[in-house]
Amino acid sequence: MSSVLPERVPATTTAAAPAGRGAPARTGRARPRRRRLLTRGSVPYLLIMPAVLGFAVFKAYPIASSLWISLTTGSGDDRTFAGLANYRRLLDDPLFWTALKNTALILVVQVPLMLGLALLVALALNSTKVWLRPLWRLGVFVPSLTGLVAAGVMFSVILNRDAGLLNWVLSLFGVDRVNWLGSPSWARVGVVLVITWHYTGYNAVMYLAGLQGIPKELYEAAMVDGAGPVRRFVSITLPQLRPILLLTVVLSTIGTLQLFDEPYVLTGGGPDNATLTVTMYLYNNGFKYFDFGYASAIAYALALIVSVLGILQVRLMGERR
Amino acid sequence: MSHQLSRRRLLQLATASAAGLGLTACGDNGSGGVTGADGDSGRITVWSWTTAAEALRGVVPSFERDNPGIKVDVQDVGNPAIWDKITVGLASGGKGLADVLHIGVDYLPGYLEKFPDGLADLSALGADRYQSDFAEGLWPTVIGKDKAARALPWEVNPLGLFYRQDYFDKAGVDPADIRSWDDLIAAGPKILSATGARLLGLDKPGTTPDMDFFQNLMQLQGAFYFDRKGRITLASAEAVQALTIIKRLNDDGLLADTAGQGTRKRLLAQGKLATSPDPAWAVEYLATKFPDQKGKWRVMQPPAAVAGGGRSVIVNSTYLAVATSSRRRRAAWRFIEYALTKPAEINRMFTSGGVFPALGAAYDDPRFSAPHPFYGGQKVLKTFVDSLSAGSEATNFTGDYTRALKLASDAQSQVLVKGADPARALRDAAERLAQQTGRQQAA
Repeated sequence: MSSVLPERVPATTTAAAPAGRGAPARTGRARPRRRRLLTRGSVPYLLIMPAVLGFAVFKAYPIASSLWISLTTGSGDDRTFAGLANYRRLLDDPLFWTALKNTALILVVQVPLMLGLALLVALALNSTKVWLRPLWRLGVFVPSLTGLVAAGVMFSVILNRDAGLLNWVLSLFGVDRVNWLGSPSWARVGVVLVITWHYTGYNAVMYLAGLQGIPKELYEAAMVDGAGPVRRFVSITLPQLRPILLLTVVLSTIGTLQLFDEPYVLTGGGPDNATLTVTMYLYNNGFKYFDFGYASAIAYALALIVSVLGILQVRLMGERR
Repeated sequence: MSHQLSRRRLLQLATASAAGLGLTACGDNGSGGVTGADGDSGRITVWSWTTAAEALRGVVPSFERDNPGIKVDVQDVGNPAIWDKITVGLASGGKGLADVLHIGVDYLPGYLEKFPDGLADLSALGADRYQSDFAEGLWPTVIGKDKAARALPWEVNPLGLFYRQDYFDKAGVDPADIRSWDDLIAAGPKILSATGARLLGLDKPGTTPDMDFFQNLMQLQGAFYFDRKGRITLASAEAVQALTIIKRLNDDGLLADTAGQGTRKRLLAQGKLATSPDPAWAVEYLATKFPDQKGKWRVMQPPAAVAGGGRSVIVNSTYLAVATSSRRRRAAWRFIEYALTKPAEINRMFTSGGVFPALGAAYDDPRFSAPHPFYGGQKVLKTFVDSLSAGSEATNFTGDYTRALKLASDAQSQVLVKGADPARALRDAAERLAQQTGRQQAA
């Protein structure tokens, strides 16, 4: 909770107590024990130390390092300081804007679609009128256990224009073959299809947990007051689910902004960059063209966008005080 | 490692701020590098990949017998992992590199350009005497900025046009009349209506870049993405001609779409493709993958991209080089010389690893003029050897090949999927390439 340094934390202060008040009076008693390593004040810090060290080595260092790299050009160790040149290049790079536009399009279409679907599925699974509920729940959740690449490969077979399952099923209804991966707009639909298939169950299970946490009394009271099913959904279910809705929206937004595996496997970003995402463009620049400076700049731009969107969502949807 | 890096970066920062102008703070390529030596004995390591590594291992016993005092350890580093390892090694001044490196033509020019001293000067060790022993067009690729040879050619993959003889017969098309792509495009509709097979397949949306055909059509005209000086030629007349041929094939319904996992293989298995422009390695590929099509395929030299134009192309080639950082450069050179300039050894590697030799003397071996049962007894390998002796231009891949490949692939998709104009699509791609790489466009 507080940012007080370990040796300043009075040994007897409980975690719940405000850090400031009452502390000076007790410092006198705490002082003799200061040299001991294991005090009630230091133990929490010792316990989080491995995580902090891990974070410092595997997260903080790369984060700082890539910030530096994003300000340089060159290859390998042979780097030249270039100031903001990479960021300036980003603004003038049509492919970066294409990638950003594609990502935004998938975000705006796919996230609401998937979360709406997940909510419907959760409501159905929560209904006492449905038989074999555990089986349905398992079935809905199973896709999210599939590896991302495996899902991509599987859908590339299903969406194959000439030999794919989906076009065969459509042909039974007299629908012409769809060039799923070959036309820019259908390729986007294909990518949306894979992500939706993969994550709807995951979100549905989260909603289900939320639904089961809503006290029955609220519904009973509403029914006594004469509220119909729609009114109960709007006035009880949705507000009660708000924290989970917020969580899934934020997580899905971040997930979509980092979208990589599915389009990488399914379309390679094509046709003509119609499904190129920001992360794929980052990957291409870093690991195909060995332009790590530019790739790092893309990473920082993406991090900025994710943060801004995340904060906005929490502001807009968070609990109003 | 990380400590060293951060200290190095701190130094760089300090230098940069001291210079006050953000001057280049990086060291030159030699800084902090390993200084090699011309040792003539001891243990040398060789980096290669999969079947080629296996083939090289076959040379080791006789080499060690003839060169006591040298031990050879051939390591299969894997492809594409080997490019990361070599790139990182060269970038850090040769640290951790093997003595002998197996390098593809798509990387060699980039290495020579970015790390001019990374690969050892083989001319100083006597490589120049082999200059005229290899297939034409390869030697310019091994020459560094200082005109010294930095590698020796090993493998070369000339292009051939594999075609279904039975389909051509059925459609009444005489293969001998096919001299240019104009001829083949004219014959295409006849083959399509007689057999239902399209001429060839491409991954139209570019789910994986499928640019070999486009590149080959440019190479047939002696052109590529870059000229010998490294200037961009992606919008050249030759490139436009190449993409126009592809557009005509597509507009005439002669181009199948091979997008999607295994689609191309399936179309070949179903007999939906009448031809397949492929390099020499496809000789055994077709024979082993589609044994039931025995006797139906033949090979001819690729049709010219423009009527009366050249009909031979080297699609790709690979080389062996010595790292400058090697402490046993002379021993390493001995191994390269032994493996790549002796017909017996190089043909042994052709047999065991399918590596088509670049050494001219190797083709005297009877296997290169033997009839192949899968191709109805045609002497297919001879077709490729003849193609090589016709000579072809060297191709400059440069260090920015992957960027050019991606942009060209986008241009091809625009033409095939959205009906874009080839000249316009290539002009945009060339401009973008210039912007990304800082290279000039050739006039």
